[in-house]
Amino acid sequence: MKKALLLAFIAIGLLAIAGCSKPPEAEMATAKAAVDAARAAEAEQYVPQQFRMVSDSMNAANALKTEQDSKFALFRAYGKSKEAFVRVEGIANKVTEDAKAEKERVRQQVMAMMANVKTMIDSANVAWEKAPKGKDNKADLELIKNDLMGLASAYTEAEADFNGGKFLAAKSKFESVMSRTQGIMNEIATAAAKKKGGK
Amino acid sequence: MDNLISRGSTLTFSPKTVLLIALLLMILALSGAGCEDAPVARLQNAKDALEHAASSGALRYAEQTYRNAEELLQTGWMELARQNGHLAPFRSYEKADSLLRLATSLAIQAETKTRDSIATMHSLASGELQEMKAELAEWLEALNGSLAGFNVRDYWMRADLDIQIAEGLINKGEYDDGRVSMAKARNFLTRLGKNLEAHADDEAKKIGIWRRWVQQTLDQSRTSNGYAVIVDKAAHRTYLIKGGRLIHTYDCELGYNSSRQKLFAGDAATPEGMYEVTSARQRGSKYYKALLINYPNAADRKRFAENKAKGIISKRARIGDWIEIHGEGGKNKDWTQGCVALTNKDMDHIMQYVSVGTQVTIVRKSDQWP
Repeated sequence: MKKALLLAFIAIGLLAIAGCSKPPEAEMATAKAAVDAARAAEAEQYVPQQFRMVSDSMNAANALKTEQDSKFALFRAYGKSKEAFVRVEGIANKVTEDAKAEKERVRQQVMAMMANVKTMIDSANVAWEKAPKGKDNKADLELIKNDLMGLASAYTEAEADFNGGKFLAAKSKFESVMSRTQGIMNEIATAAAKKKGGK
Repeated sequence: MDNLISRGSTLTFSPKTVLLIALLLMILALSGAGCEDAPVARLQNAKDALEHAASSGALRYAEQTYRNAEELLQTGWMELARQNGHLAPFRSYEKADSLLRLATSLAIQAETKTRDSIATMHSLASGELQEMKAELAEWLEALNGSLAGFNVRDYWMRADLDIQIAEGLINKGEYDDGRVSMAKARNFLTRLGKNLEAHADDEAKKIGIWRRWVQQTLDQSRTSNGYAVIVDKAAHRTYLIKGGRLIHTYDCELGYNSSRQKLFAGDAATPEGMYEVTSARQRGSKYYKALLINYPNAADRKRFAENKAKGIISKRARIGDWIEIHGEGGKNKDWTQGCVALTNKDMDHIMQYVSVGTQVTIVRKSDQWP
């Protein structure tokens, strides 16, 4: 009887050791890579709340694994932490896509504004060229010409911000340039109406 | 009772009983009925504090403190998890608790630092913006009617545009970029100021010449008891003289680039010099009535040749002509290509007295007369 019980315990012990889950190293590495990819996609800037959720989920998965690591080998079970890492990978991949989409949305918005402003400046330049010039309005048109050159310079600065990925700064500058260009178009029309002809 | 085997005075247990008791003890030990509670609430507090800090903008305005709090949270959380894995009697959450407390404290610090930074930056940026707007308005007022207005208008316009951009950025909370734009505006205003200083320096060098011209004109008018005209460009005034005495003052408008001497045809500067009327048109002028003067005179030709030789003006430049005192003025700004413009009513008045041969002296500034 004693021998039978002893044998039974040894058998249970061996089974426990054999059935003990292995740490989910591969799943953890994949999840970490997915989180790093989200960070590289600037998710922290473009979808900050979602990125914080991913970080929190990764911490939770790590905590589950750490808890199991601390236990006696016999009693470790990595099933839940493995599932958690797989979930983190899924969430991180989604966040990466969302970040890219948001960044692209902002980029497209500013790019459209940039094209609009360029068209307006070109139109203002054409209007200036076509404006009838005479002694009565030459002074005004000379000042307007200087203003147009200033606007072209401001446009170039904003374009540099856009190309450098500083979309918000670029957007604000384009808005100001657009507003000023509209004003200049009105000034050109007023100056053109003044022209009397001669020296 | 079978399990208890009495052997005389001692009580012993059967092997089965011993095994059962051992099992029960093991179960109790593994049951997790620990001596300490896991600081779960502390962990949640730390997470909440970090979330608040992040929402307030800590990543931007207090990044290092925020990152430190983040790291402490992770370390504390893992320490808590590690303790959870131990057998209950062997758990100690003291370290985890301490780490999570510190994480919370740092997160709160990051949030406070962020709010303080934003408030300070907003206050600084807004204050600076208001100052620059006021300075811009002062410059506009100073330049309005100034001879140098045309030359420096470009600087003023760029400063105005940069201030507008700065305001847009500050309103969106982009304080750093806003202050960069304001620095650019400041640079343009500095250049505007330097340009005006150069203009003032030039005036200081030549004021003696203009005083002499004015005096000569007054002396000649006194001697001949005749009429003469003096134009003070800086004051935008035309003076009618008789016998060396002022008899009438007219407001006038000039070439739109009159802050300096005329250099060549088309530069829109009203010339400075001593001239005389060569033709008086009561009718047929595009600008109501006109008094043509003898620009360019000998001094103008000499200066023009010297400037060409020095390369100050292009070899292809022409000296220009047809400088008149004419009508259609009253626009309240300098607009001509170099002529002096009076209102039509003032032209009617002056032409009663001025005729061919009348001296016309044009100075940039007359500080001692009238």
